[in-house]
Amino acid sequence: MKRILIVEDSATMRSLIVASLENLAGPVKIVEAKSGFEALRLLPRETFDLVVTDINMPDINGLELASFLKSSEKHASTPLVIVSTEGAERDIQKGLGIGADAYLVKPFDPEALRQIVLDLLAGRAQER
Amino acid sequence: MTSPEVIEEHAGKAADWVGVAREASHAFVAGAAVEERRELVIVQLAAGEYAIPVERIREIVRLAKVTRIPRTPDWLVGVVALRGEILEVVDLRRRLGLPATEATRASRIVVIHGDDDGVAGLLVDSVKGVLRARERDVVPAQGHDFRSVVELVRSGMGFVSILDLDRVLGAGDE
Amino acid sequence: MAAPRARKPGKKTGAGGSRERAETARDGREFVAEAEEILEQMSGDLCLLHEQRHADGDVDPELVHRLFRSAHTLKGLAGLFGLDPISRLAHRFEDILDGLRLGRIDLRARVVGMLDEGAATLLELISGFGRQAELPEAAMARAEHYLAELEQSLAPSPSDALDGLDAPGIDPTLLRALTEYEEHRLRENLQRGRPIVLIDATFDLTSFEDGLTEISAAVRESGEIISTLPSASASAERKICFTLLVATNLAPEQLGRRIDQSNCAFRVVHTGRIDAPANAPAAPPSPGGTDGEKAETLRPADELAEASQSGEPTKIESLRSISGSVRVDIAKLDLLMNLVGELVSHRNALAGIVARLTADSRNARIGADLAKVQKLLDRRLRQLQAGVLDVRMVPLRQVFEKLSRVVRRLRVDLGKEVALEFAGGDTELDKLIVEQLVDPLVHVVRNAFDHALESPDEREAAGKPPIGRIRVAAFQRGNHVVLEVGDDGRGMDVEAIRSKAVSRGLVGAQEVLSEREVLNLVFEAGLSTRDEVSETSGRGVGMDVVRSNLAALGGLVEVSSRRGLGTTITITLPITLAIIQALIVRVGDERYAIPLGSVRETLRAGEQPVLHSEDKEILNLRGSPLLLKNLAYEFGIESDCERERQFVVVLGMGEHRLGLVVDGLEGQQDIVIKPIKGPLQTIHGIAGATELGDRVAVLVVDVSALVLETARRREAA
Repeated sequence: MKRILIVEDSATMRSLIVASLENLAGPVKIVEAKSGFEALRLLPRETFDLVVTDINMPDINGLELASFLKSSEKHASTPLVIVSTEGAERDIQKGLGIGADAYLVKPFDPEALRQIVLDLLAGRAQER
Repeated sequence: MTSPEVIEEHAGKAADWVGVAREASHAFVAGAAVEERRELVIVQLAAGEYAIPVERIREIVRLAKVTRIPRTPDWLVGVVALRGEILEVVDLRRRLGLPATEATRASRIVVIHGDDDGVAGLLVDSVKGVLRARERDVVPAQGHDFRSVVELVRSGMGFVSILDLDRVLGAGDE
Repeated sequence: MAAPRARKPGKKTGAGGSRERAETARDGREFVAEAEEILEQMSGDLCLLHEQRHADGDVDPELVHRLFRSAHTLKGLAGLFGLDPISRLAHRFEDILDGLRLGRIDLRARVVGMLDEGAATLLELISGFGRQAELPEAAMARAEHYLAELEQSLAPSPSDALDGLDAPGIDPTLLRALTEYEEHRLRENLQRGRPIVLIDATFDLTSFEDGLTEISAAVRESGEIISTLPSASASAERKICFTLLVATNLAPEQLGRRIDQSNCAFRVVHTGRIDAPANAPAAPPSPGGTDGEKAETLRPADELAEASQSGEPTKIESLRSISGSVRVDIAKLDLLMNLVGELVSHRNALAGIVARLTADSRNARIGADLAKVQKLLDRRLRQLQAGVLDVRMVPLRQVFEKLSRVVRRLRVDLGKEVALEFAGGDTELDKLIVEQLVDPLVHVVRNAFDHALESPDEREAAGKPPIGRIRVAAFQRGNHVVLEVGDDGRGMDVEAIRSKAVSRGLVGAQEVLSEREVLNLVFEAGLSTRDEVSETSGRGVGMDVVRSNLAALGGLVEVSSRRGLGTTITITLPITLAIIQALIVRVGDERYAIPLGSVRETLRAGEQPVLHSEDKEILNLRGSPLLLKNLAYEFGIESDCERERQFVVVLGMGEHRLGLVVDGLEGQQDIVIKPIKGPLQTIHGIAGATELGDRVAVLVVDVSALVLETARRREAA
């Protein structure tokens, strides 16, 4: 079972992301975190096959969360997708630079997110 | 495999079992080539050994007082209280159709994650250790009429059945 | 690893817009709910903004940042739903706030006035959309006017941003994770000559938020936290490390005194300028940019002058009318509830120890002293409990409003009319229960509207007023709240239900059932009219799900009906799910908890005359017959206790009474009913379990199930 973590403080946004990822091939379990802190509480105990995060969030921002993921042995190789309203070239470079595998600017195309997630999930399996 | 003693030592603390199991196994295979491994905790049930994937295990605790629940199937031992949470304890022997037995000091409750946030406790006779198997040592269980086993893992000279937890726990019906 | 990719949206309003718009109905409601919440937050923050400005001219950058984020989120959400006016308005709002937080605009009265006006217009637009599913004309006109004005009036002061970030000594990993805003804060603090300190702190996974709050409280008095960077602890899985980038006027020793040192290390990375005031008073930096253009504290006269210049009445008062309420995340309430529950547990354990001490003659004195303190503790704990429970209580009106909205839509969809009435909106229930109540209630109302109410012609022919009525009434009865949904429609056909039940095998053809029992069969799984489900009658969810949803809350649902006159569905709910008082009883070797709210009285079994009728036992309770049920028998527990030594616990739920025979009474306790987690989903007769002080799980009896079952059987007798 593939496990995907979604970190996003806006409830509406969260449900849109979840809706985009409906019907991915194979069993998928989606875990939602409403804030960076909530994600921080979950991460040490569990592993995920993919993480999707927003950048602008109240307690820690998405870049800080990304940095945390990369610093943790457990999650360093977990594919990371950033979905954010910050669309300037600079912000994208920042996101990718910190180790994200993909950066989507909001409003995002649900199909694009789906495809990216599928690719990243498959890419990982191939590694085995 | 890591020895039961090492694990026992840690079992006393309320440590995160997954971490311990991982650390213990890492110590054993330090230097091995980087190849995807499956980590399984081996438990004893009647005369046989069974394997449970480590990532589904939340923790392993000693058998505390289990409160019986009236009029429930016999594979449900009852419930235990674990830090404020109330968990059902499933008698894995009965669930797998093995003869029932009395619990002993070695008996343990393996607390696992069900799917969609469920949790449950599995009562086993004892916990033998952690097995770090290579992917190629896992084979499908063909020709066996197991309802709860989908794969087997090679261990020593024989094979150990890997419990398919979702099947074992089913929808709780029966 | 796949190569990193970035995707930008094709069109401004969202490449995926059409797909999302297809689900507008459901999402629209979500959007309105979230948007209203954001706006409420914004009004509160704007109020704070006013206050802070008046106080000392300096404004908390965190506040401005929060306002910015609110506007930003709102803009994004509105954009997704194609609500252009809202999106554009939010965008301009966001621009103002962006300018403020990045120091490009000064915070003058005029600016705040514009923010107020913007927020008010947004509120109008969103509420209007929420009510009518479209944007109100008047509000849109005001929005256009406002936007036009903004174009002309705001001239941002020249930006003084430095291009590079000259911050030696700070780990690049940290710098990489700074958002543009955080970089601005860092630059600003460096410019002001504030010392920059890195605090490395390690916390337990379970308590890092508290630890961080402590540190930030200490820092906020004299500076600000610019960024919080978490990293996994290399050594322990249960720990998490944070590196805080802090600008503060306090020296590390002073900081150290305010913060628990054991898990923190301080590193000064930038010592700040000599001429920077070392012990500056608490005011956080203003977003005003360099000193020369700093926002000054306006005295009332100046402000009035400014206001009259702008030609607009200062709208400061309009935002002050925030109700004295705070929106609280239910998760926080649950956390509080859990904490109180644990306190109760510890208190119980303490009581046990006190009892042991006082019983022992050597320790009697200490025991007595301890007992005194414990009494005080008890009182405070009860007050705390009551307080927390009270916070969780919300009036049912919220649910009524939702029902109104549903019915409004149904009117359109069904092309039918209905007179909807509500009573008892002030009745309060635990927020959790209310949240779970909405779905089943909506289903019940939909059913009534769709199926029970006849067409105007049919009604006239039956001598009824042409427009059907649905009345939803709520009132409190002791420890329960009763909700009645009544209609004056066609009523239920008892015969039809009975024959359907027989054909579905739920009832034997020869079985004798009372009318009431037949009616209540509609809650059986086999009988829900799934084959007649029309689009509007819910998503194929039957009455059986309604009943089990309510049962999960400890509630009871019954139906009564008169053919041709109407139907009434009665829902009885406990007031709160959280901490309740329970009676602990002993049956054989086991203990059980019975919610005290349902206990009318307890008696000694031996003292009462008991009548045996067939296989039932009936007790004469002051002239009324009370049916007895032996809990040991009911639960299949072995008990050889003699009748004389047993007790009868008289349960009452609504009008029903039942006497439970148990072996012993072990006192009252406050307990928290927890759900039983595991593969077995429903356990008959058990509502949940609780952990008593001695770490043992004790099952909580499902009073309503027992009582109702008896009532049903009784009717058949």
